[in-house]
Amino acid sequence: MLFHTWPFLLFFIVTIAGFWVLRPTRFWRHWILLASAVFYGWWHPYYLLLVFYSTALDYFIVGWMERGPRLARPGWRMAASVVGVGAVAITGLAAPAGWGGLAAAIVFFAAMLEVGHWLRSRRAWLVVSVINNLSVLFFFKYAGFAIENLNAVLARIGAGQLPSAESLMPPGWEYVLPVGISFYTFQSMSYTIDFYRGNIAREPSFVRFAAFVTFFPQLVAGPIERAKNLLPQFAKFPKIKPGDVSDGASLFLVGLFKKVALANYLGLYVDRVYGDVATHGGASLALATFAFGWQIYFDFSGYTDMARGVARCMGFRLMLNFRNPYLAVSLADFWSRWHISLSTWFRDYVYIPLGGSRVGNLKLWRNLLITFVVSGLWHGAAWTFLIWGALHGLGLIVNRDLEQIAWWRDRCPSLAKRLVVFVFVSFAWVFFRAESFGQAVQILQRIFTTGWADPQMPLLLLLLVVSVWVYQFIYESPLRAWLEKPPMKVALAVAMILWLLLFAPGGGEPFIYFQF
Amino acid sequence: MKDETRQPVSDSAAVHLSARQWLCALGLSLGLVWLLPVAWKAFEAFEPVPHYRVPYALSNDYWLYDRWLDQLPPDAIPVVGDSVVWGEYTAHDGTLSRFLGDANGALFANAGLNGLYPLALWGLIEHHGGTLANRRVLLHCNLLWMSDPEADMQLAKEQVFNHPALVPQFTPRVPCYRADPDTRLGRALERRLEPLSWARHLQQTYFGQQSAPEWTLADDGTFPPAYPNTYRLPVGVSGIPLSSEPPSPDRGAASGRHKPWAASQSGQVNMEWVTPESSLQWQAYRRLAKRLKGRGCDLLVVVGPLNEHMMNGATRAKHQEFRSTVATWLDAERIRFVMPEILPSEEFADASHPLTKGYERLAKRLTAEPVFRAWLGQ
Repeated sequence: MLFHTWPFLLFFIVTIAGFWVLRPTRFWRHWILLASAVFYGWWHPYYLLLVFYSTALDYFIVGWMERGPRLARPGWRMAASVVGVGAVAITGLAAPAGWGGLAAAIVFFAAMLEVGHWLRSRRAWLVVSVINNLSVLFFFKYAGFAIENLNAVLARIGAGQLPSAESLMPPGWEYVLPVGISFYTFQSMSYTIDFYRGNIAREPSFVRFAAFVTFFPQLVAGPIERAKNLLPQFAKFPKIKPGDVSDGASLFLVGLFKKVALANYLGLYVDRVYGDVATHGGASLALATFAFGWQIYFDFSGYTDMARGVARCMGFRLMLNFRNPYLAVSLADFWSRWHISLSTWFRDYVYIPLGGSRVGNLKLWRNLLITFVVSGLWHGAAWTFLIWGALHGLGLIVNRDLEQIAWWRDRCPSLAKRLVVFVFVSFAWVFFRAESFGQAVQILQRIFTTGWADPQMPLLLLLLVVSVWVYQFIYESPLRAWLEKPPMKVALAVAMILWLLLFAPGGGEPFIYFQF
Repeated sequence: MKDETRQPVSDSAAVHLSARQWLCALGLSLGLVWLLPVAWKAFEAFEPVPHYRVPYALSNDYWLYDRWLDQLPPDAIPVVGDSVVWGEYTAHDGTLSRFLGDANGALFANAGLNGLYPLALWGLIEHHGGTLANRRVLLHCNLLWMSDPEADMQLAKEQVFNHPALVPQFTPRVPCYRADPDTRLGRALERRLEPLSWARHLQQTYFGQQSAPEWTLADDGTFPPAYPNTYRLPVGVSGIPLSSEPPSPDRGAASGRHKPWAASQSGQVNMEWVTPESSLQWQAYRRLAKRLKGRGCDLLVVVGPLNEHMMNGATRAKHQEFRSTVATWLDAERIRFVMPEILPSEEFADASHPLTKGYERLAKRLTAEPVFRAWLGQ
């Protein structure tokens, strides 16, 4: 279900009504859980199996992690487990074609759990959780990519081919990337890691924990919430003040405008140019590249604004995920403003464990590169995403060195720095948007080698984007108070409402980040 | 150098309205949204030419249709129906309403739309024909829509058809209509909220049946494409003329399409026909007639005529059977009706659309009918 569609409006009205009616009882959390299941199952009911598997896994593993060291090692349990796993394995081997993959997966997961029970240490349980979560993510997101590349290598050496990922699905089950799998897997996993590190306490209630992981506003595209921020909000019914509702509605309106009026409009231009790279000249491709930078920003930040708005109307506070990233004066600044929940996730769970920045230069470069390559892969299973991540890693390394130069650090105008960052980020987006590495190279080649004919970018589109950019500049300047004057806010809201009602193209275009 | 980005920023925009500001914004927005269509009527010239019909290019502009009905004089008689009334093969001055007017000295207005069928006609009159009340209305009934399950929209296989925004979105269920819930809800809302219909009117008339942003990106259909609207803003755009229909090479006595149907198929066409009980189109037609009657309209239903020349014996028999069911129902509902006899073969362009001569003859035949004259008060 998409936020900017009519069914969501109906769904939200029903959800809010039930949420409010159930507030004196303890069932409001069950209601949220049910609503989240409906919201998520709207795409494909079988997705629910995965999200609840991930949720249950981390809930129980943290429970075992807490109790593990105190448990005796019951021999009968081990015996039963071995027999169980063996039975599943035999069933899997004997199963008709197509069911073997599922049986193998069950055996694998069961075996992992048994290993955890056997070793009974917090670290073992952490490893079991991470392997389990990443295995599911790997299968649905990366198996196709990995098998394709392995098969290419095997073909080169004349070896047999691996079966496709699709063939491992049970008969009648479609092999599709479950919407938002990267988001909820990371959210659920962070709970286990945080508990392991002693940063949070175990959540005793499964319903509360499941409501936290599956909370529908942020389930499919974030923000990737940390248990420390969101889980306590499920402890008791939130205090919903009038300001929460008006703030939530404001966030939703801004997000809706970003998505429907800006992102979808930009998308039409980008699709036109990127859909036929060979016939477009340098100016068109360069402008379409910049346009894509804005499209993905409006699309994704629009989604998170709406998510935060919906949650806020229910009295929940989700973290800020975007803070005008195209005003960043350095690449590090950019990553402190772009997809904040993901960049902080990688900082806390990958970069810092690798040693962070308190190491020598070589190790620091290694840490940055690893973190950003992994971040690139998080976005998608393709070499283009890996290159996109690597480019950002390299960019950060160069940026750090630039910051050592006094002129750059102290005298270079911030506007120039912002433009440099914007141009770098935009050109990196080429790898993100292109359908293949070859197309990305072709686009970059054509930008610099073909004539700069009229790019035919609509004036209206240009005016809209420039207006937003100017707005953001003013917002982060001493003139901000001017934007916060009530008549200005009301005028902006009215303008957005009228635009949406009268000029927005129809159709619920999906969000770009849903594919991650 | 002062770095402006270092100041604490709690969010990415200042648009955080308080409850009071929201009330102001919503009040202003709603006021503007409801006022704009009204004000637009004063701004946008609409002076229909004699024998006016809604131009073909604006067939989906239901706001214009409503406006056309709204400005009819009280004594004008709207002739409501599908493309048979609208005049698929004829010019705007070669349709049934024109010849009825000529024969009777009364003002008959063409209130047909191209591409309609009873399920859509019901939606049109229900949601955009509110002004059809307490007046004489001539309602055409085209039985061709009941002549096979596909035309009756009974098949489960998805079909692409005209005017999907006018068919029932949820109930009664139309099996071949497979729009997703978002589209259905959007359409259901659009036809209930005038500002949204008006926005659609702007799209239809000024932006080539697309939104203003899409219009700025539209190509001119040539190869390599050119983009004529790139540097234009969507204001002051000259759109499709509303008050008259531009001459079309596809319609009118001089057009290549305006010719008798291929009589070589005479008596060969087999039509399955659906039963009146199961027919979705017939049910919709009955709802429509009752609705108009309920609004105080003095109805006269004209059934057909269909081109029976092309039908084989069995098909003709089923057609007659359906006609008698229709007659029985209209009688039971005390709705006056006329079932004119079939036109000469050469005056049909296809299974149901007459040519200009056919309309002229049909008008004369209707005028000669006592029921018609009584209904007209002559």
